[in-house]
Amino acid sequence: MVADPPVVTAAGPVLRAEGLTVTRGRRVLLEGVELELRRGEVLAVLGPNGVGKSTLLAVLGGLREPAGGRVVRTGRVAAALQAPALARRSVQANVEAALAWWGVPRAARPVRARAALERLHAGHLADRAAQALSGGDARRVHLARALALDADALLLDEPFAGLDAPTRAELLTDAASALRDGDRATLLVLHDRAEAWALADRLLVLLDGGVRALGPPAEVLERPPSIAVAEFLGFSGRLDEPGGTVRCLRPAHVVADPEGPLAGIVRRRVPEEDGVLCEVDLDHGRVQLRVPHPGPAEGATVRLRIDGGVRFAREC
Amino acid sequence: MDASLLAITLRTLRVGGESTGIALVAGVPAGCALGLGRFRGRRALLAIANAGIRMPPVALGQLLWLLLWPNSQWGGSVLSGLHWIYTLAAVILAQTLLVLPILIGLTAGAVQRVPEELLDQARAFGATVPRLAALALREARIGVLAGIIAAFGTAIASVGAIVVVGYSFGTATLATAALREWSAYSFDGHAVAYGSVLLGLFLVVAAALTVVQQGRATWSPIRQS
Repeated sequence: MVADPPVVTAAGPVLRAEGLTVTRGRRVLLEGVELELRRGEVLAVLGPNGVGKSTLLAVLGGLREPAGGRVVRTGRVAAALQAPALARRSVQANVEAALAWWGVPRAARPVRARAALERLHAGHLADRAAQALSGGDARRVHLARALALDADALLLDEPFAGLDAPTRAELLTDAASALRDGDRATLLVLHDRAEAWALADRLLVLLDGGVRALGPPAEVLERPPSIAVAEFLGFSGRLDEPGGTVRCLRPAHVVADPEGPLAGIVRRRVPEEDGVLCEVDLDHGRVQLRVPHPGPAEGATVRLRIDGGVRFAREC
Repeated sequence: MDASLLAITLRTLRVGGESTGIALVAGVPAGCALGLGRFRGRRALLAIANAGIRMPPVALGQLLWLLLWPNSQWGGSVLSGLHWIYTLAAVILAQTLLVLPILIGLTAGAVQRVPEELLDQARAFGATVPRLAALALREARIGVLAGIIAAFGTAIASVGAIVVVGYSFGTATLATAALREWSAYSFDGHAVAYGSVLLGLFLVVAAALTVVQQGRATWSPIRQS
């Protein structure tokens, strides 16, 4: 009996992971991973170093076999790996080579390669030797090359890694519009939350060997499902409250206020570009807040009020 | 150039070209498979190829003689039926077997130095095995061409196997002719002429291959910020 071919619908998932177990060597990194990647959406995968994000991407892209579960692909999936590995050829030739690997007829490659480079504002690099590119330009070409394939699902592993802040911001802006073209499904492995907020429709958080949060970024940020996820998402303050609850706080939730109900001692201060990040010890916890320069000295007493945060049962 | 020197020079070129060409057709794909493949026994085969790079030509010639000579202790082998012993075919066979490990070993080593990230990326973009091999060979072309230069040099200059399986006037190469004409304690003009032409031939071919090898290649690594 011949199985029916998978039906690709406009809204259906292009890629689905079912009960996936991901290992590196003998070590189990992730277990029971369930996810769907739908047409037209950008899904960002966040997680701490070593959690298995890149390995998961390799499994989803078919580069590695899962140790358990299965990956169902209803379209062609391309993966752009973390290192912008380019051959010792011109930029244009590199993009054309990728199109050749993808199976694009020879006659169509030059125009398609050029268009992809132009879309990422890298057209002027076309005739340059790939080895002569700066890190930022190499990443730009790497991304353009992946977009040129016009895959049904595109998996990008840390496309902005290792860039200086201005280059990163520029590429992020260009990528944000390029990734929205067409009805491609895109999965991005990221380690920077700001990149996820800028690019993603949905956010998936990997922690402690599995998927710990999945949803629109604003929703996950406002209502993280656990203390661990909240801490990973930048809720760096924590207060024990009466009734067995824990309140997790981002610096933005804590306000220096001379009339505030809470008093604490500044334990550490880190001067930043736009203020000072202070870590303050309170009777029932520790919080962080940003204050304008010059800010209080270490050991000084400050009064605070809490304006927001998320409550969890203590064992959550 | 006298007629015999010209004939020997052309024969040397033929032996070098054909043996290197045949070894190239077999050795480069085999080296690529050994360098890039992941299969049981790969390391053992690599070790054999690497050992073969310094295979003693005389020992190889003796082994071939035993296989080719109908009345040898191993007489009656399939190869002896070819009646190649003391013919140019035997010389080309010997030199091909001599340079085959050089091409396999150096090709394998060269493709192994191609960054794994590049090959993984090609795979992630759907590259088939032949396209991956083509990519690896292109990236490793400097190393592969170095192997071809080494193989050609060995094929035209090595005498050990030739003197055992093809030592006759009709199979002489520049190297064997120089050896034959050279006698101890005396200067022989012919021997020096053969040696000089051999040296010139090698330098011309090596220079031509070096031009191909270096081409427009650049060696600066991809800059990572």
